Formats: sequence, structure tokens, C-alpha cells
Amino acid sequence: MNGTRPRLLPALAVIVSALVLAACGAGAGTRTGAAPVELRWYCCLGTGEQADQVKVQQAVIDKFNALHRDIKVKLEVVTYNSARDTLATQIASGNGPDVVGPVGVGGAAAFHGQWLDLGPFITSGDVDLGSYAEGTADLYRIGSVREGLPFAIYPSTLYYKADLFEEAGLAEPPHKYGEKYRWPNGREAEWNDDTLKELALKLTVDKNGKDATEDGFDPQNIVQYGFEPARDDLRYQGAAFGAGSLDSGDGKTVRIPDAWADAWRFFYDGMWKDRFIMTGPVFETDQFNGDGAAFFSGHVAMSVNFLWSTYGVAGAGTDWNLAAMPSHNGTTTSPTSADTFRILAGSKHPAEAFAFLSYLVGPASGELLSAYGAMPARTADQDAFFQKLAGQFTDTVDWQVVKDSVRYADTPHSEAYTPKYNQTLSILGTYRSRWMTKSGLDMNVELKNMRDEIQDVWDRSR
Amino acid sequence: MSRMARREARHGLLFILPWIIGFLAFTAIPLVATFAFTFLNISLSESEPLRFVGLENYRRLLGDGQAWASLLVTARFALLWLPVVVVLPFLLAVAINSRNVRGGGLLRVLLFMPYVVPFVAGALIWQNMLVEDGWINSALRRIGVAHPPSWLNDPTWVIPGLVLIGLWGLGSGIIINLAGLRAVPTHLYDAARLDGAGWWRRLRHVTIPMMSPVLFYTMILAVVDVMQYFLVPLVLFDGSGDPGGATRFFNLYLYQTFFTFQEMSYGSTLAWLLFVITLIVTLVLFRLSRHWVHYTSER
Repeated sequence: MNGTRPRLLPALAVIVSALVLAACGAGAGTRTGAAPVELRWYCCLGTGEQADQVKVQQAVIDKFNALHRDIKVKLEVVTYNSARDTLATQIASGNGPDVVGPVGVGGAAAFHGQWLDLGPFITSGDVDLGSYAEGTADLYRIGSVREGLPFAIYPSTLYYKADLFEEAGLAEPPHKYGEKYRWPNGREAEWNDDTLKELALKLTVDKNGKDATEDGFDPQNIVQYGFEPARDDLRYQGAAFGAGSLDSGDGKTVRIPDAWADAWRFFYDGMWKDRFIMTGPVFETDQFNGDGAAFFSGHVAMSVNFLWSTYGVAGAGTDWNLAAMPSHNGTTTSPTSADTFRILAGSKHPAEAFAFLSYLVGPASGELLSAYGAMPARTADQDAFFQKLAGQFTDTVDWQVVKDSVRYADTPHSEAYTPKYNQTLSILGTYRSRWMTKSGLDMNVELKNMRDEIQDVWDRSR
Repeated sequence: MSRMARREARHGLLFILPWIIGFLAFTAIPLVATFAFTFLNISLSESEPLRFVGLENYRRLLGDGQAWASLLVTARFALLWLPVVVVLPFLLAVAINSRNVRGGGLLRVLLFMPYVVPFVAGALIWQNMLVEDGWINSALRRIGVAHPPSWLNDPTWVIPGLVLIGLWGLGSGIIINLAGLRAVPTHLYDAARLDGAGWWRRLRHVTIPMMSPVLFYTMILAVVDVMQYFLVPLVLFDGSGDPGGATRFFNLYLYQTFFTFQEMSYGSTLAWLLFVITLIVTLVLFRLSRHWVHYTSER
């Protein structure tokens, strides 16, 4: 045993030397004069994580790399659920990527102040912002900082099941903005949230076939719901009633927009009082969950959602269509999500990153938009996009509604930056979950508590 | 120290050097660093020059309703979970160890097997069992419960739901208790029997006192685990604290503060609060243990 000891140190020295030499050798290869700049493309704070999408993204990279010998891009796919936390960790450890996306307004706001101002690159690169749909370029401007170029937009519309309307003997909701809704008795009503509620009650049916307006309706055994708001984000629900922001304008004071408060009362009462919206526990059942979007279950007559819902809408059957967003207090709003790519301010290669970003929103945009199922922000590309989208469905869908909805985009955007953005989002999420799972709440008290809680966070010094 | 002893010490140090480096890099230095961070204003969410803020983060902590609410969530869970995680493995071990139970070996294997399954996988399996129309509610409906609990979507029922999920990991506690039971000298039971002690008296006056160090050990581990409880709510609810904040455990809030809110200094302050609370609770338990834990080696 003792005899082996003197050999240990030399042996360790040899191993350590070998490791050091190997490490040096590995580095030496990349230090040659013609070494390309390495860029990291971080996905998926929004869409992009599906296997088919990853393939397309990798193909785009391969093409770019082949065209640019001086730049080598690598794709980093982190699933949506952990993408924010992972990116935060990378940035915190000084290991942030170069290009991030596709990321929406909210995803970007979560990393407020950490995006590169593309203004100087846009000016020197002679980028034509006039080719994009009106107002879309402003979605990526925070004050004087331009964080992105328009790429994909997803207006909101009302999805509805035409067969359920027919079954109930009701006319379908209007497709054109400004048109009125016609009831079976010939009465015409403004297409607004009141009319939608009235319709939703008639389209909410229990297992005995009674609708929610009839005596003897059994709310414990509902088999079909009249309406489903997009329940992921309270701000989105609010924006469907009217554009607004929790920031009263001074960057310090919280004010819940009246339209948002109305929307949230509509949501809560719809679940627990009027019963035409499913509660949280019902939403989680296999019968209604529809893989995360209740409308996909086929047991919901109407639902407000973004254009991206087309990814799973086939689950609702073949009789679905799109209608205009209902108005609220005379104002029509179509909350519009807008995805693009951004460059982190900490990127060591901003010029190369902008070259890649320009490629993504330029030559590669067709392939990527198709993979993401996103509507091009560039107006000239929109017809081709809808033609291709229409080919995916057997039923005839009125895609013109989507194009018309762009005019009613929410400004300010519901996901726009507010102070203490992530904390605010967390509080909103807690109230959203509470409202979905608890009956008998006084919404006036709830709204006041929510406002106070958010204000408390905004007031808190770091 | 002789030359050979010095050489042996050098070799010993050389062999544990990787661990020492790892300990310094990943435990000791971060520990000291987080304490230093509590006096700074490090935040990724808002750009502000790095500065010394004194006790500002601690002052903020005192007025942070969410932090105290999350501590309350942890306390609520602890009240329900600690008795289960300490008492149930003990009782199951006593049952398996009994001469009257056949197939003890098989039971040991069956009860330990879930512990071998990765906990995330286990949590997801339980999620499917506890959903609205999962196996558990289906079984409850069959026995006449018309409206079974909404285990994962009702703020009232979610904590009992998490306790149910935790049963998945009791296997290690059972094994530890079994090992302890096997170490209880049989002559103590023989003497008790001669004195006319029945099953209950033997359990109360022999088994429990002799097992008290093991019970104390499992209790300390359970307390530390509860304070760090994190993985299941993170997996089941994406760390949102749903439903309605009922699963925003302190450790989850800490994680959110670091990685979602990106407030590194305040997150460090929360981490230190967690450390201090865990330390105090552990010290109190050690102090109390003098009254009920019996070590056979004590004189």
C-alpha cells in the first residue's frame, strides 16, 4: 500500500497537465483569425417550442449560417413554462443570449430595460417601417427606445360554433364591425357585451336540454357553456372591454380602468351568478378543458381569443367561424398580440445580432410566420398567409374579420410595461385564480384590495 | 507530526480538494455573498446603479404582506403534514415489523418503491389522480360522494391534496423507522411481557421511548423539508401559487422574487429569513427534545 503513494502525485500531475493541455487545445481552434462570431438565439418566451417549429427555426439558422460565414448562430430552445426564469438566470449570471424571440409585448416587458435600442441600426440600415400594418411598429417602442421590428400580429376575434347557434334557432353573431345583431323575433340589438351575455345565457344548456334563461335550469349539470373569455390573463379580459393600463399615467399610481373592472365583474358574475361561463374547477375537467382552451372542447358556443387559437381550434369541430368583437360602452377593442425578435442590451455582438434579426423578420419571415401560425405584420404578405391558413380547415372561415380587427387594436397595449411588472402580474394572477375558484366574493371589495395590493408593491422601495 | 503523517495529511487534503473547492464555490461563498447582497440593491428588473442600502431590504421585509402570507401557507401545510410524515411512517413500520403481519418483505418493497420514482414524475401522476375527474374523485363518486373536493382548484382543499401527494415519498421514513425498530433490544419487550404489559403499553413504554431518537431525527428532517417545500407546487401550478395564492409557499415566493421578479437583493433577504426561521425552529426542537428523546447511551 505504502509503495503506491509516491506514484500518486506524479500521476495526478500528469492527469492535470493532460486536462490543461486538452482545454488549451480546444480553445486554440476557435482563436484563429477567421473564427466566426457566435450568436445565441433564445426561444421560447412565446411560441416556437413545438418540434415542427424547432425544425423550421433550425433550418432558418442553417440557411443564415450558410450565407454568413462570419456569423454562426445557435438555437437555444427553452420551453415556455420555464423560459422566463431561465432567461432571468442567464442574464443574472452574465450569460445572456444575443437574440430572443419570438416574444410578445408582455414577455418583453418582463425584461424591461434590458433590450437593445434598435433605433440606430434601423436608421443606418434603411429599414422601411411603412410596409407594416398601421401602428404595429409602435407596439415595440418604449418611449424613445425601439426594441423590435414588426413581425407577427395576432388580433382578437370572437370564435363561435355555428352549429350550436343553429341548434338554438339563433342567428350567428355579426362578422362586420358596426353591424347589429338580429334576434329571431326580428329585434335588432347593438353588438355589445349585453347582447353577448343574452346570447350566452340562451346557449348555456344543462343535461336536460334547458338553457340558462329557463325555469328549472340545473347549474350543477351544465353540458354546454355560452361563452368563454380568454382566462389566462386578466389584462387581456379587460382589454376586450376597452384598452387601458393599470398605470394612471404618472408611473406611480395604480388605477383600474373602468372597462377592465366591468370586464372582470362580467367574468366573475358569468361564472358564479349567471353561469354562462365555466368556473375554474369545471374548466379543469376533461369534458371542457379542451387542452387548455375551453372552446376547443366543442362544448362552448362563443369565445374571445387571439388569432393564434387557430392552432387547436379544429378540436371544436368543423362548424366554427369568426365574428366581430362586441363593443363595450360604444367602444370596440380587439386586443392584439404582437410577437417579434429582440436583442439583449448585453449582447457582445449587437451589429451581427441585428443582421440576424433583420434576416428573421425579413427573408426568413415567411417560413417562420407559417410555422408559428402568425399573421404577418407586413400588409403585403397577409393575403398569402390567410390563403394558406384557410387550406388547413375544411370549414369556410371568414378571415376578413381578422383583417378588419387590426383597426381596433388596443392602445395602450394591455401587456405594456407598468412599474414592478412581474410582481403586478403575479398579483393579477392570484386574483384571477381566486375568482375562478371561490364563489360569493364581493367584487367591489376584491377590486379595491387588488388595487391596494398592487399600489403597495409599486410604492415599495427596492 | 512525523514526515509520513504530514505526507498522509497532504494526500488526504489533495483527495478532498475537489470537495473543498466545490463547497467553497457553491456553498460557502454564495452563502456569504447572499448575506452581503441583503445590504445592496441588486435587481435585474430596474436599472439602477449598485448602491449600499443598509437595512432597507429588512425594513421592506417587515411590511411585505406577500412574504408573511407565504409563510402562513407554509405554516398551514406544516400543521397538516408534519404529524403525517412523522407518525404515519412510524405506525406503518410498527405494523410491518409485527410478527403477526405476513409478507413484511413485500410490503417494505411496495412502500419503498414510490420513493425510487423521481418526485416530479410522482407529482404528475398524482396530479392526474387528483384532477376534477381523476381516479380519486371517480372513486369518491362511486361510494356516493356527489360533489367530491376540487383537490387542485379549491384553495381550501389544495393543502390536503398536497399532503396526499406527499404520501408518495413516505418510503424512506418507513425504512428509517424499521431500522430503528430492529435495533430495539428484544429483552425489553420480554421484560414488559413478564410484567403483564399488553400491545399498547409495550408500544407506549418501550417502543416509543426507544424509537424517540429516530422520531426526533425524522421530525428535524421533516421540518427542514417543509421550510424548503417547493417542487410539487412548482410542478403542479407552474409556481403561480394557484389556486388563489393557496400554494404560494415561502420558498416559492423566494424563488419568484429571485427569478421572476428578478430582485436579487430582496430575494437574498428572504433566503436569510428562511434560514433564520429554520434555525430557530430546529434549535427549539433540540431544546424540547431533552424532555422526550431518550438515548440509550446516556448516563
